[in-house]
Amino acid sequence: MGSEMEPLLLAWSYFRRRKFQLCADLCTQMLEKSPYDQAAWILKARALTEMVYVDEIDVGQEGIAEMMLDENAIAQVPRPGTSLKLPGTNQTGGPSPAIRPITQAGRPITGFLRPGTQSGRPGTMEQAIRTPRTAYTARPITSSSGRFVRLGTASMLTSPDGPFINLSRLNLTKYAQKPKLAKALFEYIFHHENDVKTIHLEDVALCLGIDTVVLRNRNHIEIALDLAALSTEHSQYKDWWWKVQIGKCYYRLGMYREAEKQFKSALKQQEMVDTFLYLAKVYISLDQPVTALNLFKQGLDKFPGEVTLLCGIARIYEEMNNISSAAEYYKEVLKQDNTHVEAIACIGSNHFYSDQPEIALRFYRRLLQMGVYNCQLFNNLGLCCFYAQQYDMTLTSFERALALAENEEEAADVWYNLGHVAVGIGDMNLAHQCFRLALVNNNHHAEAYNNLAVLEMRKGHVEQARALLQSASSLAPHMYEPHFNFATVSDKIGDLQRSYIAAQKSEAAFPDHVDTQHLIKQLKQHFAML
Amino acid sequence: MAEVKSMFREVLPKQGQLSVEDITTMVLCKPKLLPLKSLSLEKLEKMQQAAQDTIRQQEMAEKEKQQITH
Repeated sequence: MGSEMEPLLLAWSYFRRRKFQLCADLCTQMLEKSPYDQAAWILKARALTEMVYVDEIDVGQEGIAEMMLDENAIAQVPRPGTSLKLPGTNQTGGPSPAIRPITQAGRPITGFLRPGTQSGRPGTMEQAIRTPRTAYTARPITSSSGRFVRLGTASMLTSPDGPFINLSRLNLTKYAQKPKLAKALFEYIFHHENDVKTIHLEDVALCLGIDTVVLRNRNHIEIALDLAALSTEHSQYKDWWWKVQIGKCYYRLGMYREAEKQFKSALKQQEMVDTFLYLAKVYISLDQPVTALNLFKQGLDKFPGEVTLLCGIARIYEEMNNISSAAEYYKEVLKQDNTHVEAIACIGSNHFYSDQPEIALRFYRRLLQMGVYNCQLFNNLGLCCFYAQQYDMTLTSFERALALAENEEEAADVWYNLGHVAVGIGDMNLAHQCFRLALVNNNHHAEAYNNLAVLEMRKGHVEQARALLQSASSLAPHMYEPHFNFATVSDKIGDLQRSYIAAQKSEAAFPDHVDTQHLIKQLKQHFAML
Repeated sequence: MAEVKSMFREVLPKQGQLSVEDITTMVLCKPKLLPLKSLSLEKLEKMQQAAQDTIRQQEMAEKEKQQITH
C-alpha cells in the first residue's frame, strides 16, 4: 500500500456506492482539517440527506391532528362520487364486505401498502384514537410529523458534538447567492433536520392538545421555506425547481392553496412529471379526487404512458371504491412496466376476491419470480394455492410465511389464514389451535376472535362464544360479522333485545346483508306480537 | 344415447308443498390477503425502528449512569 487515495475522491466514491455513513465520516475528518472546504461540506450534506431520504411524493401520511382538525375540505357533505371520505357512496359498487374484508375506514383491503394508505379517514375523534392496531391499514399516528420528529431526534443523538449544520446561525441570504450550495442545503434541511425539542411531546400531545406537535415541528420546514424563497428570488423567479420546493414546504405546513399556486406556476415554466404528482397530492389532501384525476389525465397528454401518472389514477379510483376502473388502470400500468409490484399485487388481490384464486396465484407467482421474498407474499401464495386447489404448495407456503414473519402481528395474520385452511379441510381442532395462536401473537385480532367464537358455538359453548364475539365487536366495530353472529346467538338463547341492538349495528356496517335484514324483520315481528 | 335419455325422466311433484328450512348460520370472517409493503414504507419503518432503538439505548445508558452515581 503505497500512496493513499485522495480523501475527497474516496468520499465521493463511497457516496456513489451508497455507503453514506462512511462518506459522512470521511467528510467530517476533512472538515476538521479545513473547515471551509465547500466540496466536503456539500458532499457531507448530501450523504446525510440520502441516509434518511424518502421520496416526498410517497409521503402522504395523515395523522390524527391533520384528519380531525382538517378544515381544507371544500364541502362538508360532498356529493356522492366526488369525495374520498365517503367510500361507500359510489354507485359503481365496490366488492361486498361479505367477500372482501374491509379496513376500519370502510374500504375494501388493498393489495399494496404505501405510507399514504395507512391512515384512512376515520369519522370521529374517538374512532381515530381507538383504531385497532390489527388493521395496520388504519393505524393512528399522532401527527404526520411525528414519525419525522423521531427520525430527526435519533440522528441528533448519534452525533455527540451537536448537529452538522446549526440552522439558527445560518446566513440564508449568503447561501441563496450560491445556487449549487443552496440546493444541497435545502434538501438537507428539508429531509434531515428535525427539531430535537419535540421528542416526547408527540406522546403527551394526544392528551393535552394535538396542535402543539404540528406547530413545533414547523421550525425547520419554515427555515427551508425561507431559503427556497430567497433562492427563487435570486434566480429571478425563473427556476422551476425552487418553485416546486416552495410548494413542498407549503404542503408540509398544511397550506395547500399556496402550495397549489407554486406548483401551477412551476408547471407553466417547465412541465415535469414530479410536479404533476405533487399537485395531485395537494388536490387529494383537499379531498378533490375528481380534480386530481383530471390533472393526471392532463399529465398523460404531455407524458403519454407515464407509469407514475397511470398508477396515481388507479390509486384514486381504488380509494373511491371504484375497483373495476382501478383494475383497468393497473393493467394499463402493467402494459408499460411489467415489473410494477404495486399493480401486480393489486390486480392479484382483485382476482382473489372476485373468486378467481388461480389467476391471482399467477400474479403472485410472478412477484416471487421477480425476487419479492417476504412473509406477506408467501401468505398470499398459500391462500391462493389452497383456494385454487393446489394443496401440495399450501402448507409449505405458510411455513415459509411463518418463518419470514418479522413481527408478531404478521405471524398472527398468517396463523389466522392457516385457520381458514384448517376450517376448509374440516380439521376443527387444528383450526381452533390456529385461531388461538393468532390471538397469542396479537391480542387485538378481531377476526380471529370472531372465528373462534363460531367454532365454540359449533361445540355448543354459548357463553364462551358470546364473550369472544363481544370482544371482537368492541375491537372492530366496522366489521359486520361479529355483530351479526352476536345477534344470531342472542336470538337463539332468547335475548331478543340484545339481538336486535346487535343486528342494527350489523346493518349499519353492511346494509345489504340479507341475513341481517331477515333477522331484523323476524325480531320486529316478535316485538309486534308482544 | 337416445335410449339412455328415455330411461330417466324428471319428476315434478304436482301435489304437496316443497319447503326448505332456512337456518341462519354464523359467518366466519374472510381470509385476509396481506398487502405488500412499498419500498418507501419499508424504509420509513426501518428508519423508525432504528431511531427508536437508539433513543432507547440512550435512555438506558442514562438510567445506568444515574444508578451508579446514586
